[in-house]
Amino acid sequence: MAEPCALVIFGATGDLTHRKLIPALYNLAADGNLPPATSVVGFARREKTDQEFRTELEEAARKFSRQKINDELWSSFAESISYHRSAFDQADGYIALAKRLEEIDARNGTRGNRLFYIAAAPDQFEVILRNLRDSGLSTARDGAFARVIVEKPFGSDLPTARALNSLVDVAFSEADTYRIDHYLGKETAQNIMVLRFANSIFEGMWNNRYISHVQITASEPLGVEGRAGYYDKSGALRDMVQNHLLQLLCLTAMEPPTDLSADSVRDEKVKVLRALRPLKGAEVAKNVVRAQYGAGTINGKRVPAYRDEANIPPESATDTYVALRLHVDNWRWAGVPFFVRVGKRMPKGGTEIAVHFKSVPPVLFNRSSDEVLDENVLVIRIQPDEGIALRMCAKLPGSSLRIEPVKMDFHYGTSFGKATPEAYERLLLDAMSGDPTLFARRDEVEQAWRFVDAVRAAWGDGEKDLCFYSAGTWGPTEADHLIERDGFSWRRL
Amino acid sequence: MTTIEDNPPGLPVELGKIDRELGLLWEESGDTKTRASLINLAIYTESPEAVEANTALISQVAREYACRAILIFANRAAARNEARAWISAHCHMAGKGDRQVCSEQITFQLDGDLVGSLPNIVFSHLDSDLPLCFWWQGAFPDADDATLWTWVDRLIFDSQDWSDPAVQFERVRALHASEGRVVLCDLNWTRLLRTRFALAQFFDHAGALPHLSRIRRVEIVHAPGCRTVGLLILGWLAAQLGWTHQEILGRHTFRSAAGAEVQFALTASPGASLGACRLFSDTASFELARSENGEVFRAAMTLPECGEIHSTLSAGRDQLVDVLVTELSRGGKHPLYLKSLESVAPLFLS
Repeated sequence: MAEPCALVIFGATGDLTHRKLIPALYNLAADGNLPPATSVVGFARREKTDQEFRTELEEAARKFSRQKINDELWSSFAESISYHRSAFDQADGYIALAKRLEEIDARNGTRGNRLFYIAAAPDQFEVILRNLRDSGLSTARDGAFARVIVEKPFGSDLPTARALNSLVDVAFSEADTYRIDHYLGKETAQNIMVLRFANSIFEGMWNNRYISHVQITASEPLGVEGRAGYYDKSGALRDMVQNHLLQLLCLTAMEPPTDLSADSVRDEKVKVLRALRPLKGAEVAKNVVRAQYGAGTINGKRVPAYRDEANIPPESATDTYVALRLHVDNWRWAGVPFFVRVGKRMPKGGTEIAVHFKSVPPVLFNRSSDEVLDENVLVIRIQPDEGIALRMCAKLPGSSLRIEPVKMDFHYGTSFGKATPEAYERLLLDAMSGDPTLFARRDEVEQAWRFVDAVRAAWGDGEKDLCFYSAGTWGPTEADHLIERDGFSWRRL
Repeated sequence: MTTIEDNPPGLPVELGKIDRELGLLWEESGDTKTRASLINLAIYTESPEAVEANTALISQVAREYACRAILIFANRAAARNEARAWISAHCHMAGKGDRQVCSEQITFQLDGDLVGSLPNIVFSHLDSDLPLCFWWQGAFPDADDATLWTWVDRLIFDSQDWSDPAVQFERVRALHASEGRVVLCDLNWTRLLRTRFALAQFFDHAGALPHLSRIRRVEIVHAPGCRTVGLLILGWLAAQLGWTHQEILGRHTFRSAAGAEVQFALTASPGASLGACRLFSDTASFELARSENGEVFRAAMTLPECGEIHSTLSAGRDQLVDVLVTELSRGGKHPLYLKSLESVAPLFLS
């Protein structure tokens, strides 16, 4: 159960606050899930009155909220929003914040509960955390909580992740640290565990006896947009694989936890990361394809090559596409490759996990070599159009025996009368409730970096092994060859 | 010139928002509608007039074969490079209940150079995990983008519409050589399904078999402009009876499995696309003729041992929608089609 609290957002004038956090909070309020006493304090450098801040947020909420804004409800919700102007490195700004939060406690009944959301640039993390500690804001009063939500990236490699974790440790305990990965807040991502462990038909087949391979894809038609500075340093591997895609892999490959407590679930996820076969040196060239998009066409419009995008160096060797062939070395998954790919400027946006089952033995309907039966595929769509689909073979009606693939499809959007909540709604509510199950734990983050760093080290800083693909295509031919070596092909999303 | 704007095939949508708009279409449609799809059916045309006719055709097909339909109007001659899209749904009552089963249609107009971007614009809107049946209306272009066929499972075309079948069949054969997994579905071949079935019943009679292997002459009557149909049925006979084509001094005949010459004649005469097919051995004859109203086949075989045997068989319907639904419903790889085509390939040039 979520407790009322004062939610302080660092970086309150940024995109995340406008597009995601405020719409999510409004939707929670509209659905009756946000404790009425909850108060929101925006912390940022720019000069702004409470009213100006509220007006800005209202405009954003009207644009980005999944529910239509109800004027009366918004007015009530907006009353709980205030703006605190301070630079992140200004110690007295935090002292003033503490005083302001006490006033809010007294006025709104937030009981001394504090939830700090760091939505600022990564280089501001340290100064914010130190000031939270020094001002005493990170120390919870008796019977209250003080928690922090940290946005990705959780470092840019293992050493920086460790440094960041140590930094967070200075101000908050691990139990009060919530590393947000919004993929985990999506209904379908949460549903992976339900699908696997609440349905006996799947778990029995969820192993190398029945599954031939797994494909995890995250594609988007967008380029770097306004994130050139960050993205060029990060690249697809660090921006997406280290966090989102490895998290999805963990949920797909993990063993059943002993219970649903946060640590039991996260223990099992960490075991998967530990079982990932390390890729080092020549193994990287053999099992990883890194590529960068060239000029091409997306949705009928010509788009420039990555190197021609604004604020990208013309000699940049940053990966905008990565395909990996991974193995989880345990009894369950021995011999089952996991193909993971992520790319920008792809023809279609979507994130999904596709579990490909083994083909039936060629003894009945596919006895002759020209009668190939499509294998069963279970697709878990994370976004957009969250849902689950199962492909199977069916006989076409009629006197002859013709077999074609058919699809059983479940869409969250249309199957339930209730609209699917946004990931941030669930995650904010969980953080207020003190449930860290859907947040990454320190050892998960560090283990994922350990794996990714080895790949990065093999690539080096130059263009070694960098391939190119045209924008609007599904990646380089080298990636096709990567999967074809095992006799498979990439799925058409 | 007719344009799509004269009669738009649905709601105009931004290319980048098609999936979202389709989602909204369903969310707003209430719970008495079921979104269904068995295949992706893409139709490519270069004729603006064909857009309306194809939309009507898709609506009829969707009654029997729920699909994600993608209609592409390629306007190569357009001065500017532009891509536009429209979405619509075709809903039909299912069974006796009050539920409606609906298929989606996305219509694209690709202008100018953007026709070359067809694979990346259009194929990103396929329903994943379902086969792609791609109907290419009209002639295949000289050179095409190899990626165009990468994801096609069944390539549908209608050789009846080709003005230069020799060139077109050569392109089809080349495509099959490079993309062997693509099933070639010639609607002209599908149109001949009942004819082939009716001819095949001659083989059922034990007394007829020895005479069929000794056929010396074939006469085929086809409608004017439908020579391709005649050649395809001739190719089928050749493939089934093991004949090989031969050309001696410019004269085309077949050589039977026993080494005998088999002559043939194709005659154009007003009527059904394939009016009659007659086979003659030295001592027996087989005739399949379509009735005047086109509804039935009248079959007759004259065997020395049994005299004349008559039968009547349904000829089915030749409407385009029926042919297309038949093709979609049959599935299979059509191995005999290519074999038949190979048997008569030189005749397309003659």
